[in-house]
Amino acid sequence: MAAIIEADAPVTSVKLEGLAALKIIKHCQESLPTMVTGSLLGLMIEDGCLEITHAFPFPEPPDDNKGDIIKTGHEEDFNAKTIDDEAAALDGHEFQLEMMKMLREVNVDNNCVGWYQSMYLGTHSTMSLLENQLAYQADLSPNAVVVLYDPMQTAHGQLVLKCYRLTDEAVRLRSTGKNNFIKPNNIFQEVPVTLSNPGLVRALLRDIGDGMHGSYGAKANGADTTFDRLDLSTNPYLEKHLEFLCSWVDDLAAEQYKFQHYTRSLRNNVDNRNAKGRKAKEELAAAIEEGWARNDAPRRLESLLISNQIKTYCDQVEKFTGGGFGKLYLTKGLHYEEEKKVASSTSTS
Amino acid sequence: MTAALLATHESNLPPMTHGCMPALLLNSPALSKSTSAVAANAVAYAGGADATSGGGGGEAGSRGGIMIPASTVFVHPIVLLSVLDHHTRRQEGAGRVIGTLLGGRDGDRHRKIEWSSYRVFKRMILAASFEMPSTVWYQGRKKDDAFHVENSAPMKDSLLTPFPSSSALHPPPRKKKKKQVEITNAFAVPHAERGDEVAIGKDFNRQMLALHLRANPRETVVGWYATALPVDGGTDSKCIADTSSLIHEFYAGECDDDPIHLVVDTGLSVDALPIRAYKSIPVCVKGEPLANMFHEMRLSLKSSESERICVDRMIASSADKDGAPATRDEGAALQLSMERLLAMLETCSGYVDGVVDGSISPDDEVGRDISEALSSVPRIRPEVFDKMFNDSLQDLLMVTYLSNITKTQLLIAEKLNETLGK
Repeated sequence: MAAIIEADAPVTSVKLEGLAALKIIKHCQESLPTMVTGSLLGLMIEDGCLEITHAFPFPEPPDDNKGDIIKTGHEEDFNAKTIDDEAAALDGHEFQLEMMKMLREVNVDNNCVGWYQSMYLGTHSTMSLLENQLAYQADLSPNAVVVLYDPMQTAHGQLVLKCYRLTDEAVRLRSTGKNNFIKPNNIFQEVPVTLSNPGLVRALLRDIGDGMHGSYGAKANGADTTFDRLDLSTNPYLEKHLEFLCSWVDDLAAEQYKFQHYTRSLRNNVDNRNAKGRKAKEELAAAIEEGWARNDAPRRLESLLISNQIKTYCDQVEKFTGGGFGKLYLTKGLHYEEEKKVASSTSTS
Repeated sequence: MTAALLATHESNLPPMTHGCMPALLLNSPALSKSTSAVAANAVAYAGGADATSGGGGGEAGSRGGIMIPASTVFVHPIVLLSVLDHHTRRQEGAGRVIGTLLGGRDGDRHRKIEWSSYRVFKRMILAASFEMPSTVWYQGRKKDDAFHVENSAPMKDSLLTPFPSSSALHPPPRKKKKKQVEITNAFAVPHAERGDEVAIGKDFNRQMLALHLRANPRETVVGWYATALPVDGGTDSKCIADTSSLIHEFYAGECDDDPIHLVVDTGLSVDALPIRAYKSIPVCVKGEPLANMFHEMRLSLKSSESERICVDRMIASSADKDGAPATRDEGAALQLSMERLLAMLETCSGYVDGVVDGSISPDDEVGRDISEALSSVPRIRPEVFDKMFNDSLQDLLMVTYLSNITKTQLLIAEKLNETLGK
């Protein structure tokens, strides 16, 4: 990485410039259904505000790990995976350096401040994302962020751009390699994103909004998305969510099973020693302590991530159904108005 | 017609020399502030230039009857934003900035791929398309352009809206149409201008292109952009400079077809940011190319669905200096949509009323469109509607209930873990 930003204040907000946002959207949208990543360039400005002014895509790795779309195989041996990723990243790394060198020549902000990725229906609590973000926060700057764009949810007429970073607690936990419990909420920290633009761009946007460059506002050259929100069909979205919830809950259960299994084996080990009394208790506690610290112990983080993800899904469902109720009652109101009108007109005639 | 012949280049160079053609420049009518230095031989060609642009006879018109093809340029907002960003970040003292435009020609190749990926995507999420109300809304939107009285024909042709209705799964059959260029991306290229000389970062351009193509292999070079060149100490600016034709010459070698020249007038001499697209046509006299003429092309903005969502979001917040949060309240957004719908319906009924009164002359086309739009709304009997309504309501309630249960479970587990699992 070219530059390391001095970490004086932690990031509390992210200002995303329109150009960067559009670049992210374009890349993620055009490469569907593949999930893609890219790099963010920008500057740390005062008050813990991170300004992202430019973004560029990473080339697609030779074998696109499709697992990322829904979830990375938690059961897989993680070491094998990281080695694979490293091989792909090397190419990407060179690309990144080259690109930044080129962009520097045309005076683009030359600080890498994080990375972006497309996400699928809000799936972000994966091990791979965590590892990647950890690498950024550890190697690049503690203020590195990841911006996630969700093409699926955006199709409903609502722009979904989220920005996350790992909490210090999570970083500490990962870097010390401890197997402790932290609150699932405290793994990722969402950073509020604002879209902002420099003056010239705002002038242009005004022009566009006023219909100076063709009747952009009134008639869609591409597609008018204002009415996407009025889509009453809720089922596909909810079905997808329920499906995901099911599979993630299954994963959670599998994780739990692993834990139970491990605890039982630990207990067996201690029981076999056949000790009695108070000493035994202490021994047991020590053995358990030791057992959890061992490398082959199941990682708590996995299940924590899963529960965090499930919670995200639940929140999304809640938000969506909230909107759904509104639309449904709106339709009902419209329909009854119409019925009444028809009824009154027939009665008068 | 303001045909201005700008200073031809050194006459000791033969006109055929690559990159040193004399520039004959046609100013756009809107910006006819040309301070043209009419060369000695200008008068001789002025008549020819007029004839070419008039499309009529004369010397230039007689060359094989070449008509200027009325092609359209579609620009994505990202390109304009890139240009403005580059302009803001230009070197101190640099007059204007240039860069390469990427995109697709005729839209065919590029759009086909877009379609296919789009189809996959829509199928993934809309696999089981619901029930009846969805079709109501979709069709309501499909007939969107019926509500617009003014519709210029070429734009209508290009209306390739990816609706998630049945037409999305089968792209509408496209008519044979005029040549179109779609500009989807751009990158900055360093350059320097001094008098009549131009230096372009040729290596930079090549490398950057290679990098871009690695990440996005579908785009090709379609032309170049520039911002307006300030003249007279920055108080005034012009879109096309003498050096434009040299740069254009360079880009002619870079792309397969005629390059497009996009100019964003950042001079701010008017209260707007005019954007223009040009293509260059060699002016030949008796088979000998003598000059380049920049002919303005029809330009319109185009954006994909998601780009549009983002741009709309930014337009809405463009008054605010600090920007606005990326996500918006669902209720407010819904209200906005309903207001738009209402406004459209009012426009429509206003038109119909006007026709009935006789104040607006009837247009069969519009009438048909309106009736088609209206007839696409299905009539539902109250009991059927009630059933549908209740079904959907129950589904939603059920899912909410489930998700709340799940959440509660998680919270309990979390609490347990926190207290016990130290």
